[in-house]
Amino acid sequence: MRPTPLLVAAVLLLGLSARAATVDYMRDVKPLLTQHCTRCHSDAKQEGGLRLDTGEFLFAGGDSGDVVVPGRGTDSLLLKVVTGAHRDIPQMPYKKPPLAEAQVAILRTWIDEGASGVPGSEPPGVYTHWSFVPPVRSAPPAVRQKTWPRNPIDQFVLARLEREGIAPSPEADRTTLLRRLSLDLTGLPPTPAEIESFLADTAPNAYERAVDRLLASPHYGERWGRVWLDVARYADSNGYSIDAPRQIWKYRDWVVAALNRDQPFDQFVTEQLAGDLLPQPTVEQRVATGFNRNTQINQEGGIDPEQFRIESVMDRVSTFGSAFLGLTVGCAQCHDHKFDQISQREYYQLFAFFNSTVEEGHGKSSPGGALAFPDELTGKEFEERELEEARGVVERYVGNRGKAVFEWMEAMPAEQRIKMPNTVRGAFGIPWDKQTLPQKRACYAAFNPDDQEFKAANETLTRLEKAPSPVTTLVMSELPVPRESFLLIKGDFTRHGEKVSPGTLAIFEPLKVANPNRLDLARWLFSSARPLTTRVLVNRVWQQYFGLGIVETENDFGTQGIPPSHPELLDWLATELVEQKWSFKALHRTIVLSSTYRQSSHVRPDLEVTDPTNKLLARQSRLRLDGEIIRDVALASSGLLEPKLGGPPVFPPQPDGVMSLGQIKRNWQPSTGPDRHRRGLYTHFWRATPHPALSVFDAPDAFSACTRRLRSNTPLQALTLLNDTQFLEFAQALGQRVGRESKGPLAAQIEYAFRLCTSRSPRTDERDRLVTLFQTIQDSASGEPAARTAEAWTTLARVLLNLDETITRE
Amino acid sequence: MNAPSPQEFQRQLTRRHFFSRCGMGLGGMALASMLDRSRAFGATPTLENPLAPKPPHFAPRAKNVIYLFMAGGPSQLDLFDYKPKLIDLNGQPIPASFLEGRRFAFMDTSHGTNLLGSRRKFTQHGKSGMWVSDLFPHTAKIVDDITLVKSCAATLFNHAPAKLFMNTGSGQYGRPSMGAWLNYGLGSEAQDLPGFVVLQSGPRGPRGGAVNWGSGFLPTTYQGVPFRGNGEPILNLTTPEGVSAARQRQTLDAIRDLNLSHAMETGDPEINTRIASYEMAARMQTSAPELIDLSKENADTMRLYGVEKDTPSFGRNCLLARRLIERGVRFVQLYHTNWDSHGGPGENLQGDFEKVCREVDQGQAALVQDLKQRGLLKDTLVVWGGEFGRTPMGENRDTTGRNHHIDAFTMWFAGGGTKAGYVLGETDELGFNPVADRAHIHDIHATLLHLVGLEHTKLTYRFQGRDFRLTDVHGELIKKMLA
Repeated sequence: MRPTPLLVAAVLLLGLSARAATVDYMRDVKPLLTQHCTRCHSDAKQEGGLRLDTGEFLFAGGDSGDVVVPGRGTDSLLLKVVTGAHRDIPQMPYKKPPLAEAQVAILRTWIDEGASGVPGSEPPGVYTHWSFVPPVRSAPPAVRQKTWPRNPIDQFVLARLEREGIAPSPEADRTTLLRRLSLDLTGLPPTPAEIESFLADTAPNAYERAVDRLLASPHYGERWGRVWLDVARYADSNGYSIDAPRQIWKYRDWVVAALNRDQPFDQFVTEQLAGDLLPQPTVEQRVATGFNRNTQINQEGGIDPEQFRIESVMDRVSTFGSAFLGLTVGCAQCHDHKFDQISQREYYQLFAFFNSTVEEGHGKSSPGGALAFPDELTGKEFEERELEEARGVVERYVGNRGKAVFEWMEAMPAEQRIKMPNTVRGAFGIPWDKQTLPQKRACYAAFNPDDQEFKAANETLTRLEKAPSPVTTLVMSELPVPRESFLLIKGDFTRHGEKVSPGTLAIFEPLKVANPNRLDLARWLFSSARPLTTRVLVNRVWQQYFGLGIVETENDFGTQGIPPSHPELLDWLATELVEQKWSFKALHRTIVLSSTYRQSSHVRPDLEVTDPTNKLLARQSRLRLDGEIIRDVALASSGLLEPKLGGPPVFPPQPDGVMSLGQIKRNWQPSTGPDRHRRGLYTHFWRATPHPALSVFDAPDAFSACTRRLRSNTPLQALTLLNDTQFLEFAQALGQRVGRESKGPLAAQIEYAFRLCTSRSPRTDERDRLVTLFQTIQDSASGEPAARTAEAWTTLARVLLNLDETITRE
Repeated sequence: MNAPSPQEFQRQLTRRHFFSRCGMGLGGMALASMLDRSRAFGATPTLENPLAPKPPHFAPRAKNVIYLFMAGGPSQLDLFDYKPKLIDLNGQPIPASFLEGRRFAFMDTSHGTNLLGSRRKFTQHGKSGMWVSDLFPHTAKIVDDITLVKSCAATLFNHAPAKLFMNTGSGQYGRPSMGAWLNYGLGSEAQDLPGFVVLQSGPRGPRGGAVNWGSGFLPTTYQGVPFRGNGEPILNLTTPEGVSAARQRQTLDAIRDLNLSHAMETGDPEINTRIASYEMAARMQTSAPELIDLSKENADTMRLYGVEKDTPSFGRNCLLARRLIERGVRFVQLYHTNWDSHGGPGENLQGDFEKVCREVDQGQAALVQDLKQRGLLKDTLVVWGGEFGRTPMGENRDTTGRNHHIDAFTMWFAGGGTKAGYVLGETDELGFNPVADRAHIHDIHATLLHLVGLEHTKLTYRFQGRDFRLTDVHGELIKKMLA
């Protein structure tokens, strides 16, 4: 029998197999009622005197009488209220998205067919949200096209496609595959030599070996580290309006190194949340806690520091929620969560875990808030920047108070004047704005010796002036006596509600330890909360490969999120992560080895209506590269890339005037030498004035955790690739590289240039078009033949670096 | 050989597809549909151009908005909110009842709480008889064209968060600014300029920087594009040195042709969007310099604004704002610094305040007059205001200035369906609190959206599991402002 489209839709929605023909109460109806109705109509709560947690209660009806009239679906009260057709009762579920048409159809069909199948004794349906239930490892389903699947991922994907009657796409060609793998695993394109050897490798496991080679590359850690840094809202400045620079790049390097050594995910997270609380923590484990120090610091004058210290703790709570639980925990800051089972009290219990660290709201350095590396110096360039910054802080501070100091000095009797330090004595009679900074500092120190804020700033400046500054990095460190935490009424830090102590979310088993700390919280993620932690992680990894997650709302696994497109696959991956001892690399390997991953990304007209967003995965997706990687690819293609890993942030050229957009004009002195051509993740990231070539390509702003980058497509991107001096520099280098490395005839040289950018050889029409361009320019340019040729090469290289294909993972 | 025209190139590609690339199961029909789609992709605005005009929720009163942002918080008490009683009580302590439970910026330092009467001379102007101080002689001439709201109220009292709040309805970083919301809701009529342009003048950039005109969680397509006062108006707008215009065009043509070829190969409409964005970029390379070239403006106009052709100034930005909305730009925002008037160096209420008033007065008045005489004012909403106002109490630094005040401050609106010659709201006799028609920023946002034809509760974007709005969960339309 051929199922009707409506029924197909209905069974798909429920994730049931296609053999379902009629509606079954236990299988089809009860889950619907449990999912959508029992929160208000069950044991705990009986709105309108109605319970829907068992069939018996359903037939008993409520204050408005019978809800079901067997045989008459449309006339039944149940149908009227879920469709919004009732005159007095508002549409159900109350203040929630209405049921899908297919779900309504299930209810109607069941009643039309006699509303049968209710067992004599039936366990009540208790509402439990799917993502809170431990993942179940189902056996991969059987499929008809037995040769296609390479691993269980493919069986889950194909089974679904076969139910829909859709064939998967053919495998992408080998060049595309290698480029895809290289970009996905390392963020760099394959070299011409790597392509050649891969194409020549006819061994059956050539692809597997390519995967292993790339996973072993140190650039793997850079590529996937950047993805994690998005979540960690990593930046090299304090944010808010002052946006002073900060040192926390050791944390960035820790992330890259941890991924490169394939640190198991549970340890990776535990060290970031609570490395400082592990027994005898290593330096590395303390560096890892920088995760929670990537909060902004407000150094604006006149603020209440406590307000912004609280803000940073709140940021930790919402980052914890989106990074590990995929829940919008932050919604419970001012009131109980409107949709998920998170109370405001629970929010502040989580808050209490993060509230007892040493730092204060103004970013003053308290002991323990930063880790110093006395044997490592930051280097001259960095020191100068730091010194300039410290000088500015002192200058602004005393500048606002100059008049009072001057008046105090003027009024000082002579006998006191001679007791003043030398520098102060030399400043008598000099108007305030004519005094040098050393004079102002000395005078102010004499004027107000108890000003702690000035003292701290002045000491920092003195220290920097005296000695080269060691590398430091921000870390988490607990106060000896914990700070008290309170529920904040409406999230207002001035309005204390009841006192709260650290505690976890009630949706999972509570912690069984007294006085839990961050370490216990981390362990909770990998015990009670594991259903979410694992699903959320594998889903985020998945979305990097396919553009969309299995759960499209990667940051909302709660009741308002979109349910998974392939629930069994998501659960299989989540359990596989645990089976593979939390290995990231094993997870990557499983995904990229699948046939699903290897499909062609060509758009298929036959899917345009049935699956426009490619949720069913009958093909791969073309994905525009991330901002950093667009530049990395240009650097690699042009041969300029400096592959060095780690170290202080670098300053590649950017257009003039960018830094003046912020409140405090800062200097952007472009790096010289190899640092000019480092990978994008090392570019110094100012939160207030990020490098425009990054933000124009949707790099996150680092104000809060970013779990998925948007991909926009704007004229400003075109202007960047066309006109930015960096990209012109890359184009010139690319042209020169071709001249150096390819001595063949023009067409062959052009082919080589094309391959350097897109990895593949041009099709005839493409090659001809480029040859024409080259010759036109050579003929029309002015100057010596060598200069004309150089101009033709630069132009050709500009074209290639601007191609959509060059900045896209096919 | 000349580069083929797009149509010609497409024809060649079609031939190539039919004769050499149809062996992979794609029938002729499928291919034809693919080509059709590629040609007709303009019909789907979301793919072709996310800024394509979209219908409003209801008939709009204003098509465009020019927002004059007075960064730093101008003193309403020295410009518009005339308080004779405050002048009488100058130097007296403020009654304690006003201060209970209030929080102010710079709480850590001891600033005076004595009242500070304005030293400015106030007179009534126009048919409406609006009070304006002697610091705004030009603005005094347009009072019959504006709605003056004296009862504005904000939530946050530090510059950066307060500016964010004024722009995004929240003090949190990462929310879209109103210009971004407008472009998201309405698209843009501009064919060859961005839909949201930011112009800046004054000694420094506004606090918070680019987040003030950011797109937050909306696609970056909607973010404000800062045009610079002189030199290259947009970052990377100019063709690199040594590349002629002809060479740039050849480069663009080749990029287009190869992208088109790849669009045919992959069938991905996103490539067509990229082709369109390169064409827009190329048009901007011409249109933006044309925009900032004021040589075609006549002498009367230049005199009206009090500007010279190439000298950056607020007045020049006002003239540029008119030129931008003439070209269909939806939202133009001008920032002028520095209105912060604590009394410290460079921030006193005497010479420094007079200077910043002079810098904006003629330009803002000229803008309203110019829009009016060109018949553009009815379709253009002009908004004037800072992130907050200043306290009735003096603040003692080098000189006596005023601290930040969020409970009552003044903004004005002109054109775009607002009343002309109308004063909304009143403050108590010290100017401390509104006593009638309090207009919170959320209400102003709701009203601004209403004027451009958008219902503020319906303009939403789903992010992190929640539908976000410019007005968050607040905002009431201020009906009294509507003409």
